[in-house]
Amino acid sequence: MCFPRSTEEVAAAVRIAALHDRAFVVRGSGTGLAGGATPLADPLVIVMTQMNRILDIDPVEQVAWVEPGVLNLDLSRAVAPLGLHYAPDPSSQHACSIGGNVATNAGGPHCLASGVTSAHVRALEVVLADGSIADLGGLIPDAPGYDLRGVFVGSEGTMGIATAIAVHLTSNPPAVRTLLLDFTSVEAAAAAVSGIIASGILPAALEMMDAQITRAVEDFVGAGFPRDAAAVLLVELDGLPAGVAADVAAVERVGLAEGARTVRVAADDTERELLWKGRKSAFGAIARIAPDYYLHDAVVPRSRLVEVLHRVYEIAAEQRLTVMNVFHAGDGNLHPLIVFDAREPGIWPRVHDAGDAILRACVDAGGVLSGEHGIGIEKRDFMPLIFNPDDLDAQAKVRDSFDPSGRANPDKVLPAGSRCGEAQRIPEGAWI
Amino acid sequence: MTLHLDDDELVACVACGLCLPHCPTYRVTGLEIASPRGRIAAMRSVQYDDAPIDAAFVGAMEECVQCRGCEAACPSGVAFGHLMEETRAVLHDTPGARPRLGQRAVEWLGYRIVLPNRVLLRMLTWLIWLAQRLGLVPGRFGLPKLAARDLTIRLDSDPDPEAFLFTGCVMDAWQRAVHRSALAVMRSTGARVAPSPNGGATCCGGLHTHSGRLDEARALARRVIASMPGDVDIVVDSAGCGAAMKDYGRLLGTVESEAFSARVSDFSEWVVERGLPELRTTGRSVVIQDPCHLRHVQHAQGPVHQALALAYDISTTADDGLCCGAGGAYAVYQLQLAAAIRTRKAEAIRNASPMATATVLVASANPGCAMHLGAVAGLDVRHPAELIEEALP
Ligand SMILES: Cc1cc2nc3c(=O)[nH]c(=O)nc-3n(C[C@H](O)[C@H](O)[C@H](O)COP(=O)(O)OP(=O)(O)OC[C@H]3O[C@@H](n4cnc5c(N)ncnc54)[C@H](O)[C@@H]3O)c2cc1C
Ligand code: SF4
Ligand code: SF4
Repeated sequence: MCFPRSTEEVAAAVRIAALHDRAFVVRGSGTGLAGGATPLADPLVIVMTQMNRILDIDPVEQVAWVEPGVLNLDLSRAVAPLGLHYAPDPSSQHACSIGGNVATNAGGPHCLASGVTSAHVRALEVVLADGSIADLGGLIPDAPGYDLRGVFVGSEGTMGIATAIAVHLTSNPPAVRTLLLDFTSVEAAAAAVSGIIASGILPAALEMMDAQITRAVEDFVGAGFPRDAAAVLLVELDGLPAGVAADVAAVERVGLAEGARTVRVAADDTERELLWKGRKSAFGAIARIAPDYYLHDAVVPRSRLVEVLHRVYEIAAEQRLTVMNVFHAGDGNLHPLIVFDAREPGIWPRVHDAGDAILRACVDAGGVLSGEHGIGIEKRDFMPLIFNPDDLDAQAKVRDSFDPSGRANPDKVLPAGSRCGEAQRIPEGAWI
Repeated sequence: MTLHLDDDELVACVACGLCLPHCPTYRVTGLEIASPRGRIAAMRSVQYDDAPIDAAFVGAMEECVQCRGCEAACPSGVAFGHLMEETRAVLHDTPGARPRLGQRAVEWLGYRIVLPNRVLLRMLTWLIWLAQRLGLVPGRFGLPKLAARDLTIRLDSDPDPEAFLFTGCVMDAWQRAVHRSALAVMRSTGARVAPSPNGGATCCGGLHTHSGRLDEARALARRVIASMPGDVDIVVDSAGCGAAMKDYGRLLGTVESEAFSARVSDFSEWVVERGLPELRTTGRSVVIQDPCHLRHVQHAQGPVHQALALAYDISTTADDGLCCGAGGAYAVYQLQLAAAIRTRKAEAIRNASPMATATVLVASANPGCAMHLGAVAGLDVRHPAELIEEALP
């Protein structure tokens, strides 16, 4: 395990690993939900927590160069006096690192309108698996040539290590309002989501929580989330004051038309922050119900949200498990959480079966495996569900062109046998 | 080997990492083992996987400031403070995990003999005062400069008091000026007040609980409770002591101790509740440092802000109340970590100050934090009671 403090030290560590033909795994804050930073088979673990300096802030160009260990929220706080923030806001933003965000192409509630991490990363300095240092992308958007920066973002440490990142900073909107709508059925809440989008409004964030998770969250923050709601929607609108006021009225109208019991508009920043704290604590708060959880992150077409949700509840009931849903409703990014107590004998197979079934149900509904958490080891073996062998082979070739040695975070993302050659190679000595 | 930790408490951690940035030792080291999640994982490996209680384990536990910043941040409601106290208690009773004889002897003297004994503590204080006058105490010990004027302050009692100000051990010996201000502000609400009878029998036992000396802590708690029977309010102007005394109910688990804990409030909590007279606006700005034991443990930092805002331009640090590294005896045992954590805190304080003045006025409701931060050049750390007293009409 090593804790480099500079790009040169990272490169040196990688070269030493190469000399000894050892794999290496990068680790940020370890909040990843797909096991991407989990060391398999004794690799060198390179921990980025000590590379945590903000290198440069250019308020005019709205760009900051940061080291990968800088925490997401620390960056937003550092630029707050300039009226700026870093837009992607994963619920783990207090704790996760920008490097980890880049590697997983993280999203967050406020990525509905502004796009996920990739849309906010301009340039990268990376250390490749042979220890060489490369610059990807540039400060000017849409530079000619292949977008290698875009390839690297979301590569989960399998193409090298990001050692410096130029991120785009977003101006704080002049006006922000947050609404909490509460419903007596999940269908009504889902209908309201569709209704809001159909009315032409693109909220800054549009989040849904079901009954159980709402109660757990309320126990932690005490923000006044209705304990008896079947589902709540958290809607954030931002922009110019007049436009925001009109949108608030429109969302209220749609919500009530779809059967919202109450629509609460947060009165001030404190109330807004408390509501968001609730939403962002959701995963953590589940331990109040049971100590372990198994989480998926599939994205389904918004039009099939209700149908998939019902299937999810059914699957859980079949396996006698509790499932809760908290998700980015605006873009159909589900987060079904199976909560359980691992100490209960024989529970693991049920949890896994339910997880598999849920994922398949999402894919069957035209969805994809992961909206934002990445593939890691956890979803690796599901990749063939949505990619055919040719797709996987193409992906493996891209990966190989960054890391021909295969030592950068091996056995993650792509399932064994992705390379065509691998699947078809006939073992030596097999000639009979 | 087991730590005898409560199973439900130990498995409640889902390893989400949301507590990491709120942990001072993780912030300055970037090491997982210096984080709440890492410490819980280490506790689990001892309790469930037969990992040994070795030097690495003991070190990881002792490096924890017990600020409970993680507990406040944890959405899963992991009772980290309790887990750590229990672990410390086990370490305290584990022969291999104990410090060397010399250190044990000094600790024994400190915890068993000096802290619970007012007379001895005062004598020692005067000795330190003398040694300081003679230039025998190196500055790196971080002791505050004691002034004879403060050591001789008398605290007046009103007849038939409605509230006692708990005077405590070290604070009673070293920071009587704060107690005097606290009593003055309490009187300004129109109440009859008095210092705790017989010093409230001195030490609250908070430091003992922290270092795993639970039996001693319980004995001290019983003594404190016995010294203040009846139902008079008990006001505490040390956040650390207040937190300990509000927790007697759990520590002793008796009806009597719970009733006692319910009578305890922090100084600011109490004066705001009683209603302060109209204060003079001072026009000065002050950065408020929320002591961990006020914010994360008592959840009672609000009234400090409310009260000071009546007379000062207040500002707060943008670090969610990250610990300053004082942590009772922590600053003595973990010199380097405590200093690194303090450097970070001092920077947050300077950044919070609206003007780049040479000295920043800081309010801290805990004497331990005040001493620890007070050692930083350019920070003038005062107790809220003193600042409010200055603004009394
Ligand atoms: C409570 C909770 C809520 C969450 N909410 C969200 C959410 O809303 N949206 C979302 O997208 N995610 C969310 N996540 C998942 C997680 O926080 C993100 O995936 C985050 O980007 C991981 O960052 P990290 O620093 O913790 O990385 P780690 O977990 O340490 O690593 C994640 C992956 O990135 C790689 N990596 C890390 N640093 C580098 C680097 N410098 N260069 C190359 N590769 C690197 C690792 O090898 C690994 O594959 C949540 C997690 C939790 C626990
Ligand atoms: S202590 Fe709480 S916040 Fe920290 S990792 Fe465990 S569950 Fe998460
Ligand atoms: S009590 Fe404080 S120092 Fe200890 S683990 Fe929690 S946050 Fe870190």
